[in-house]
Amino acid sequence: MRSQSLMKSTILLVVVVASTVLCWELYWRSHGYEISYDDTPSMWADKRKRVYEPSESSTVFIGGSRIKYDIDINTWQQITGQHAIQLGCVGSTPLPVLVNLADDSKFKGRLVIDVTETLFFSPSDAQRPKEGIKYYDEETPAQWASFHVNHLLESQFVFLDKESLSLGAILDHLPLQNRPGVFHFAGFPPEFERMSFERQQNMTNRFSADTAQRNTVIKIWKMFDSDTSFRPTNGKKLDSIFNLVKTSIDKIKARGGDVIFVRPPSTGSYLARENKYYPRALYWDKLLQITGCPGIHYQDYPSISNLNCPEESHLDLAGAKIFTTHLIDLLKEKGWVFSYSK
Amino acid sequence: MVFNSYIFIVFFAVILALHYLPLHWNVKKVNLLLASYIFYAAWNPPFILLLWMSTVIDYFVGRALYTQPDGYKKKLLLVVSLIGNLGMLCFFKYGGFLLDNFVTIVNVFGWDFHPAKPDIILPAGISFYTFTTLCYTIDMYEKKSEPVKSLLDFSLFVTFFPHLVAGPIVRPPQLVPQFESERKATQQQLLEGLFLVSLGLFMKVVLADSMLSSIANDVFSSGGSLPALDAWMGVLAFSGQIFFDFAGYSTCAIGVAASLGFVLPQNFLYPYGAVGFSDFWRRWHITLSAWLRDYLYIPLGGNRQGKFRTYVNLMVTMLLGGLWHGANWTFVVWGGLHGFYLWVEKAIVDFRKDRVPSIASVPSAEVGVLGAQPEQFKLKTVRNFFIALFTFFLINVTWVFFRATTFTQAWNLLKSMFGLASGSPMLTTLAIIKVSVIVSLMVITHWLMRNTKVLDVAAKLSWWSFGLVWAFMIIVLIWSQESSSSFIYFQF
Repeated sequence: MRSQSLMKSTILLVVVVASTVLCWELYWRSHGYEISYDDTPSMWADKRKRVYEPSESSTVFIGGSRIKYDIDINTWQQITGQHAIQLGCVGSTPLPVLVNLADDSKFKGRLVIDVTETLFFSPSDAQRPKEGIKYYDEETPAQWASFHVNHLLESQFVFLDKESLSLGAILDHLPLQNRPGVFHFAGFPPEFERMSFERQQNMTNRFSADTAQRNTVIKIWKMFDSDTSFRPTNGKKLDSIFNLVKTSIDKIKARGGDVIFVRPPSTGSYLARENKYYPRALYWDKLLQITGCPGIHYQDYPSISNLNCPEESHLDLAGAKIFTTHLIDLLKEKGWVFSYSK
Repeated sequence: MVFNSYIFIVFFAVILALHYLPLHWNVKKVNLLLASYIFYAAWNPPFILLLWMSTVIDYFVGRALYTQPDGYKKKLLLVVSLIGNLGMLCFFKYGGFLLDNFVTIVNVFGWDFHPAKPDIILPAGISFYTFTTLCYTIDMYEKKSEPVKSLLDFSLFVTFFPHLVAGPIVRPPQLVPQFESERKATQQQLLEGLFLVSLGLFMKVVLADSMLSSIANDVFSSGGSLPALDAWMGVLAFSGQIFFDFAGYSTCAIGVAASLGFVLPQNFLYPYGAVGFSDFWRRWHITLSAWLRDYLYIPLGGNRQGKFRTYVNLMVTMLLGGLWHGANWTFVVWGGLHGFYLWVEKAIVDFRKDRVPSIASVPSAEVGVLGAQPEQFKLKTVRNFFIALFTFFLINVTWVFFRATTFTQAWNLLKSMFGLASGSPMLTTLAIIKVSVIVSLMVITHWLMRNTKVLDVAAKLSWWSFGLVWAFMIIVLIWSQESSSSFIYFQF
C-alpha cells in the first residue's frame, strides 16, 4: 500500500475510532450510568497496601459483598475522620484475607469482619481473595504502573466497565436458549453493581426502584441456593474454621490490633434460608464464644434491625449511610475510640 | 511488561518519540538498550542480572570461539558456553521437573527419598533468549558469521525488547547488521508497523482472551467426562486461543520493530492452512522450527545417514522441541505425536517416491524441519483443502496434551472427544457459537491466505476499506476491555 493511501487510512481510523468511542460514552451517560471501577485483583492489592496505616487513622473491612455495599465509606470517613480500607470480596469467604493479615506482622490495626454465614463458613468460595493476595504478593512494576494508567482512564470513561459494559458482558446477556443441564450465569443487571475507587459497591437508585431488576437478583440468590456450597458446614470442617479464625485473630490481637465481627442485614426469603441453614446459636453465637471477640448482629439493635434490603441481601446507598452511622455508634459502645468524631 | 497493557502504550510512545529525535545513532541504540532492560525489569527486576550475565559471557566467549586457532581450546570454550546457557535453562526451567523424576525413580527402587520442593521462579523469556545467545556461540564456533563488533550491538541483539520475551527467535545475521547503521522507519513502515501492532493486539486481546480462553479453561479444568460436543469445542477453543495468543504476540513484535525501522523474521504463516505436518512446521513458530533444524536436527545427522537415522533424528528433534515448551511429560508426548505424524507423512512421501529436497541443502531462513514445501502442496485444490482439514483435525489431538496438565486430564478429554465417555453438558450456546464462528473463520482465512502475507492483502484494499477494517479492530479492542493477561508462550 502506498504511503499516501496509508496516511488517508490512518486519518479515517482516527476519526472513526474517536467518534465511535465518543458516541458510545455519551450513550451510556445518557442512560444514567456513572463512573464505575472494575473490581480487579490489582484494585484489591492497591487497597491491601494501605493496611499499615496506624489504627487511629484507618479501619480495615473484610468479608463478602455485604460489607462492600453496606459500609458507606464517605459517611464513615466524615464521621470518624478515619480511612475505611475495603478488602471485602464479592461472593467470597473472608478467611484467606484474615489469615493473610494475621500472618503479616506489620498489620496492627483495626479489623471489621463481615459474617455472611453462607460465605464465611464456606471456604470453597475463596477464588477472588486468593487472586487478590497472589497479585499483592507478586505485583510487578509493570502491573503497578498499568494499574495507575488504568485508573486514570477508568475515572474518565463510563463505558470502561468490564463487568457490565464490555463486549463479553453484553454478549453474555444475549437471550440464547441453552441445552438442558447447562449452568449459565449471565451476571447481575448492570445497575446493580457500581463500584467506587475505594471499592465501595452500591446499587443505583434506578435499580432500587425497579421491581423487575430487584426480582432478577432475588432469583439469582435462589439459584445460588441450589448450589451445594450454600449448605451448612458442620462437624470437623466447622471446627477447623473456628480454630483458624481464632488463631488468626489471636495473632492480630497479640500485636495490639482490634477485631470485631459484624453481621449485616438481610431480609425476606434470603434471611429465611440463612436462618434455616445457619441457626444463630450454632454459628454466630459460637463464633463469638470461641474467638472471644465482640460482635454486632444487626438483629440485636433496633436502630439497624429494620433496614430494607431491596434485593434481600444488600442495602442501597441510603440504607448504607444509616447502617454506617449507627455502626460507628455501636463500635464506640464496644469501646472503639475514634480520635476525630462528629 | 506485556504488549497488551496500558503501560506498554505509554512506554512505546516514549520510545518512538526518542527514536525519532535528531540524536546520534549510538545514543539511539543506548536508548533502545535501556528501554529493553526497563521492558524486561518491569516484570521482575532481579532477573535482569541473568540477562546481563548471559550477554556478557556469550559476547566474549563468542569472540574467543571465532578467533581461537586451537581446536581443543575451541571445543572447551563451546562446552563452557553450552553449559552456561543450557545449565541456566535447566536450573530455572527443568530443576523441579528433573528432581521430581529423580524422586519417582529412586522411590521405585525402594529409596524413600522426599526432598523439599524447590521454589524456583521461571525468568520470563529464558527459553527464547537462551536460544538466541546459543545460536550465536554455535555460529561463532562454526564460523558461520562474523563476531559482533561491539558489546552494545550484541547486547541489543540479545535484548531488543520486541523479540526478547517470546521471540521471534532471531539469528545474528538477521538482526545485528541492522544495528550497524542508522535505522529509521519510513512513513509507510511506521504505519504498517502500527497496523501490525493493532492486528496482534486484536488477535490476543479480543479473539484469544475475550472470546476463547475461558471456554478452553472451563473444558480443560473440568477434569471429568464431557459430551463429545463440549470436549471438541474446548479443544477447538484452545486451538484458536494458542494461535491467536502466540501469533498475536509475534505480530505485535514484528509491528513494534517495524515502527522503529527494524525487520524481524516471520514467525507464523497461516499454520491451520497447512497441507500435512511438514507444512505445518513451516508455518507454526517458524523461527523455532528453523532453529531446531539448524542446531539440533542437522547436527544429529539430519537425513544424511540413511532412512533409519533420519526417522530417529526427526523424533529426537520433536521430543526435545516438545520439552522446550515446558517441564512436563505431556509436552514431550505432544512433541512425540508430532514426530509420529511426521514419520507417517515421510513414509508416505518416501513410498510414493515423492521426495522433498534434502534437508541439508535447504537454506535456513524460513522453512521448517522437513525443508521446502513440494510444489503440489502449494496449490489451493479441493484435495489439498481436505488434507488441510485432516491435518487440522490431527493437530487438535496434539493440543490436548499440550494444554492438559496431567495425562489423566488429557486421556479423559480424548475419551470424551471420541465418544468413549459421556457427561453433563457444560458449554453455553453462546460459547458454542463463539468457537464455531471464530474457528471456522480462522481455518478458512488460513486456507485462503496460505500463500500470501497480511500486508500484501492489505495493500490490495482501497484506502477507506483498509481504514475501516483497522478502525473496527481498534474499536472492538477497546470494547473488549481485556488487558494485561500474560501471553501463553511467556511461560515457555
